[in-house]
Amino acid sequence: MNEKTRFMLALITPAALVLILFQVVPILTGADASFRDWTLHDPKRTWVGFANYLHVLRDAEFRDIVLPNTFGFMIATVACSLVLGLAIALMLNNRFPGRWLVQSFVLLPLMVAPVIAAIMIRWMFNDQFGVVNAALEGLGLAPISWLTQRWTTFAVILLTDVWLWTPWFALILLAGLQSLPPEPFEAARIDAASAWRTFRYITLPMLRPVMVVCIVIRAIDAFRTFDIVWTISGGGPARATELFSIYAYVEAFQFLNLARGSAAAVIGAIVIVVFALLLYRVLNRFVEVSK
Amino acid sequence: MTDIAAAPARSVGFFFALAPRGKAVFFALAATAVCLLFAFPVFWLILTSLRTGTGVYYVHRGTEFTTDNFHEVLSQEIVLRALFNSFMISTLATVLSLGVTATSGYMLSRFKGPIPNAWFSLIYIFRCVPYVAWVLPLYFVTQKLHIFDSYWGLLLPHIAVHICFFSWIMKGFFDGIDPSMEYAAMIDGCSRWGAFWRVAMPAAVPGLTALAILCWLYTWNEFLFALILTAHETPILTVVMAQFVHELGMEWHLMSATAVIALVPALIVTLFGQRYVIRGLRI
Amino acid sequence: MADIVLSNVHKVYGHVVAVTDINLAIKDREFVVLVGPSGCGKSTTLRMIAGLEEISAGTIAIGGRVVNHLQPKDRDIAMVFQNYALYRHMSVRDNLAFGLRNRRVPADEIAAAVSRAARILSIEPLLDRRPHQLSGGQQQRVALGRCIVRNPKVFLFDEPLSNLDAQLRAQMRLELKELRLRVPTTSIFVTHDQTEAMTLGDRIVVMKDGVVQQVGTPLELYRKPANRFVASFIGSPSMNFITLRVSADGEHFALACHGWQFRLPARRFPHLGSHVGRSISVGVRPQHVRLGAPVNDDQIALNGAVTVTEQLGDEQLLAVRLGDGEIRIAGADPDLSLPTGTQIEAAIATDHLHFFDELEQI
Repeated sequence: MNEKTRFMLALITPAALVLILFQVVPILTGADASFRDWTLHDPKRTWVGFANYLHVLRDAEFRDIVLPNTFGFMIATVACSLVLGLAIALMLNNRFPGRWLVQSFVLLPLMVAPVIAAIMIRWMFNDQFGVVNAALEGLGLAPISWLTQRWTTFAVILLTDVWLWTPWFALILLAGLQSLPPEPFEAARIDAASAWRTFRYITLPMLRPVMVVCIVIRAIDAFRTFDIVWTISGGGPARATELFSIYAYVEAFQFLNLARGSAAAVIGAIVIVVFALLLYRVLNRFVEVSK
Repeated sequence: MTDIAAAPARSVGFFFALAPRGKAVFFALAATAVCLLFAFPVFWLILTSLRTGTGVYYVHRGTEFTTDNFHEVLSQEIVLRALFNSFMISTLATVLSLGVTATSGYMLSRFKGPIPNAWFSLIYIFRCVPYVAWVLPLYFVTQKLHIFDSYWGLLLPHIAVHICFFSWIMKGFFDGIDPSMEYAAMIDGCSRWGAFWRVAMPAAVPGLTALAILCWLYTWNEFLFALILTAHETPILTVVMAQFVHELGMEWHLMSATAVIALVPALIVTLFGQRYVIRGLRI
Repeated sequence: MADIVLSNVHKVYGHVVAVTDINLAIKDREFVVLVGPSGCGKSTTLRMIAGLEEISAGTIAIGGRVVNHLQPKDRDIAMVFQNYALYRHMSVRDNLAFGLRNRRVPADEIAAAVSRAARILSIEPLLDRRPHQLSGGQQQRVALGRCIVRNPKVFLFDEPLSNLDAQLRAQMRLELKELRLRVPTTSIFVTHDQTEAMTLGDRIVVMKDGVVQQVGTPLELYRKPANRFVASFIGSPSMNFITLRVSADGEHFALACHGWQFRLPARRFPHLGSHVGRSISVGVRPQHVRLGAPVNDDQIALNGAVTVTEQLGDEQLLAVRLGDGEIRIAGADPDLSLPTGTQIEAAIATDHLHFFDELEQI
């Protein structure tokens, strides 16, 4: 082992140690636990093979509610934040008076903890005293009991996530926009391209590599959402808004069945890794074409 | 052949067709809408925290303002402890993570071959694994190591996450720094470690500052690890707030006050550090 | 008719004046080159004609129509950029067709125009490729194709050859001239390279610091530069300048500096009269200094010591110490051996002398 190799390993040794102890080992422990019968009140830990997995996969709650919830939520939040973020980035790409002010406001959600954002928006949608219902009443409409029905609760959760993540998209897309060369746009002006055609045929294709990366990263993170759902609805009403990370937590810490919780978590992990790879490959085809 | 040049450009386009005046109005409206959308929840939160207990039910109609909520919240021991703990954890995690991810990113940047590839793949895979999959068993790992519900029990897992998140960004920074300076240092008698510490790290300071700010904010706002890995010994602010939501029920004035208190350090760090983040990430 | 007229055109950026009072009349189908060092305002002027920059003052008219407030797309122009500005995610065919599609031209006409342009530029086999798959020269041809496909009144070129290597540049210059024969169109070409200017332009506009220095045919600029800047800018290797003091000497004017003096008949150079007693700058091109003694009365002699030589194969370039300064001589016999210090004698025909006071040609 030569000096260079030793140096390389020395550089990553502390990181590797921490990673192994606090990520690899837990994941392996969790995977192991998922194959055992391990409840917190009855820690026998006998090997049961795939029983836990089958239980989760057969659980109607998981199949019919949690998985569709998670995918639906992921698609909805990524789509909304992408479109809004792009619109804001396009706007901020122009110089107009007060631009710095708008930029500061756009940065606001980035410093707010998801938990706090969930609290703020949950308070706004409080059915008795929330400002949204007060506004509805003011307009002569009936107040809505937001957090007692599945879809309205979802709307609130979606709104929170979009509020939190649109600025992230906006900033990254703005940086992307600003790094585009100006000459093709000048050529497009001479080529009589309207604002819309310029956007569709020139701006968008050139932005695609950045957008692809953003979409993949955000999709993976959206899949794992826990904080805001937990704070806004706890997965309710009656477990109707559970995402898979909440499901796993509930199994492990409320039903005290760590094994099933781990099995659910592992299933989710596999799903997301596979999905991420597929998504990356599909979107990458677009990037190849537009390079 | 028809005279193509004579074909009029019929699609005039929305923007170009607008008179400069129209454009300005459009921008003003859009800008206002954006500002309102992002600022309103925060504004509402602050307003709620300034209302009395009964006033909170008519936040938009009440006229009284009070700072009593803050007094009451800050007099609770758990809040004070949580405030202190969160601050310590964020700061310590940032300092430790920076050191560990800097070396990791440097290795990924300067070297090629099987070892860096393996490290890169490892980090990438574990970045994708959802937290829940390993936080649950972390509960047991930390208990076994007797660090559950303590500083180290939170710090080390956080550092593990930071390694996955921030090594790439560190790699990017070091990619942008010319390695010739380090070669020159080594020719001048520096060891590889010396070249790293005395040449590469100082050059990466803008990037490190940016990352420190992002890391601090991320840890300050983090929830899931704090929820699972702490109990009564080490209260953490985000968990305390979530608990208030479920326990305090109607006492939104106290809730809001706690939330505002949690927001203030994040605001200060962001406002102060915005410049450095932008400068650092330009690399 | 696609003539271009610039009248009193100014361009100001805040407090910085980029272009001052340009007046130009470009004839239909003329190929005019704007040339000058970086920052002289040539690109700015071109972009004002294109409509990519606002005109601070003055008017620009294309084909008799004032275009100051027209969008670039309405000015009936086409432009080639320095870095080609091809749409990198579109195929070559789509790059060529984009402008026509935006103008809602029928698809069959677009196809005809595209294949005609591709044929003229010999890029037919490349139509389905993407820009990043093409070489620099091929990309440049696609950029040219984008110009000719719409048959506009004016072609504008913004330093299109600057990104190519020397050999490719020479080849593209030839192709541009051939293109001119097949598609004769009013053209304005911006470059900082005087060789490109001389070889391509019907007329050349030399600019410096936002001001037009001289407008003329290549030969006019070469033989009768209006001022020292144009004289030194045009021609390679560039003109020699020596400062000499003028004094009257009977029917002659005597010009002298440390190490060199000669007389010129007053009758043939009357304009020197007003500069008697003062110093002027005398310019002579290295190509006009011939080694050897003067052969007749219309030549003056020059003596100096060789400092360095540069062997070019078919000629040698010499640097010769003359008094306190140095002049360069071109066209020396490549077989001559001239080690440092060799005293040489050279002759210059008086017709080839240029006289300048501070700025202007006298």
